[in-house]
Amino acid sequence: MKTKLLFPNQFKSIGWFLLVPSTILGILVIFYDFQLKFLDLNVFAIYSGGIDFLGGSTTILGFEKNNITDEIIGIMFLIGALFVAFSKEKQEDEFIAKTRLESLVWATYINYVILILCILFFYNIGFLLVMIFNMFTILILFIIRFHYILYKTNKSLSHEE
Amino acid sequence: MKNNLKVERAIKNITQEELAKQIGVSRQAINSIELNKYVPSTVLALKLAKCFNKTVNDIFSLEASD
Repeated sequence: MKTKLLFPNQFKSIGWFLLVPSTILGILVIFYDFQLKFLDLNVFAIYSGGIDFLGGSTTILGFEKNNITDEIIGIMFLIGALFVAFSKEKQEDEFIAKTRLESLVWATYINYVILILCILFFYNIGFLLVMIFNMFTILILFIIRFHYILYKTNKSLSHEE
Repeated sequence: MKNNLKVERAIKNITQEELAKQIGVSRQAINSIELNKYVPSTVLALKLAKCFNKTVNDIFSLEASD
């Protein structure tokens, strides 16, 4: 089937190769402040705002010191997740395209239902943590749901001949 | 919409896998069509009909609820 907007099938393996390690490292970054010291670099910032009462400084269109471990892992995760989510299946066809669309709609709904609940029940730094997770959840939800549906239809096949 | 794909397939004596391969779709697609869970596009319906040397109307038909 001709499809615009999807990556070739080989990108799926590359995606998993990026996604799995960056998920593990991402959890370490968020919960254990994992950093690689040699990644302390001067970075260009369009805007970097400190929190005034904590004595932070503000940079606009300038350089500042930052450890870029989390930036690299975040980008690895996003590229990996995009490749896994939007690479063609081995046998891409209209049924899979429909499953993909439905899963994307489903993931968007669930993502924002969760966000609405979090807006109601998380405050201050707790909400900041929710925002960090929310950057990634829509892709995660999509990947889980899409592959679950494909797995389920595949399983029902083994009974059918 | 209902279809007699399964019957046609039995007459021709081919598996879902073989049929899927012949017309270039996934096995899941054939399975879902046979179970009436998925309505194929016109292109796919025409391909299926061609594969069995029938017309689309011979394989697919409307139901009262359509």
